[in-house]
Amino acid sequence: MTEANTKQITLRVQRYNPEQDSSPYLQEFIVPVSRGTTVLDGLLYIKENMDSSLAFRTSCRMGICGSCGMLINNYPHLACHTQIEEFHTDTLTIKPLPNLAIIKDLVPDLATLFDNHKAIKPYIIHHDTEEMETPSAEFTQTSQTLDSFLQFTYCIKCGICISACPTSASDKLFLGPQALAQCYRYCSDSRDGGESERFPVVDTDHGVWHCHLAGACSEACPKGLDPALAIQLLKRRLVSHSLGLSKKQSPSPIVPPPTESNPKVPFPEFTVKGS
Amino acid sequence: MRNTRLWFLQLVTGALIAILLGIHMVMMHLDTILGFFGIDAVEMHSWESMIDRAGQGIWASLYIALLAFVLYHALNGLRNIILELAPSVRTERIITRTIMVFGIVVFIWGAYVPIALLAS
Repeated sequence: MTEANTKQITLRVQRYNPEQDSSPYLQEFIVPVSRGTTVLDGLLYIKENMDSSLAFRTSCRMGICGSCGMLINNYPHLACHTQIEEFHTDTLTIKPLPNLAIIKDLVPDLATLFDNHKAIKPYIIHHDTEEMETPSAEFTQTSQTLDSFLQFTYCIKCGICISACPTSASDKLFLGPQALAQCYRYCSDSRDGGESERFPVVDTDHGVWHCHLAGACSEACPKGLDPALAIQLLKRRLVSHSLGLSKKQSPSPIVPPPTESNPKVPFPEFTVKGS
Repeated sequence: MRNTRLWFLQLVTGALIAILLGIHMVMMHLDTILGFFGIDAVEMHSWESMIDRAGQGIWASLYIALLAFVLYHALNGLRNIILELAPSVRTERIITRTIMVFGIVVFIWGAYVPIALLAS
């Protein structure tokens, strides 16, 4: 990094220690920035060189773990996935994700997110308990079925959708777009038979019917998921189930083992023979 | 599946209100257009005309149904808005019961005249 390519940026970082401070306040740090510097790089620079007491979460630094979600210039982003240059400004304001309690500085309390996620039973529920306990083979699933819910499997549980959601802002008991989208993800999985266990969790006064369809979750999601779509599709499943219009499909069976009469297709011979 | 059924009813009553309110609006406010189609709808706002309609089975049923649908649609919507701000289950229960009692009282009050006229 040459000095000619480096410029100084002011990061206004929200500080708050519940044990010492009565309310959050902003602290300014001037950090050197060059092409490609992310907001997380800026925060790491502060922690390593200016104030080691600054608290924030980080792990993978490549948008996979979902640890570094924060409010950057009043919009939720992953700090590792956001370059400072994108903002075309000399001052950035960094705050913790809204709609969640603050543990310290930029660290939000994600306990509610994980509690709601656990409540919808985010795993395959299959009536064949013996196969679930000691699996002998895979459950069958077509690639078309997988495609129908694949995008929702990419959720990294960063909490950005919840911080962008206007319903989560006003209703503290709302399940949130993350849990509702994951409920749809598992209910729409052909290997799953757990609708009857998940529907009572989302069909409450603070469940799926309180989504206003603002679409803020889909716009903010750093992984490009569309939780608003999942919630609408979940509503359709609930109504179909309630009216008795849903197709009664049992979870897919396991892949049958190969038999003598149905041998595996032999590997094709090489068409180009070596000399 | 209680909330799903409540939401589905909200959807159905919304569609029915659009139809019944449409009939009401045409009869009460578009008499000139009805006249153009040869339907004599003059004096729709007069007391005699109103009492006469309320005494007819089809009109009385239409207005009682409209009242029920509007009350359900409006009060369920109001309940959903208030519940979003309710901090506890106990508060929610109080809100739900208050709104139900209010809706029943208003329905009886509104439906009393056509039912009394039909009975007489």
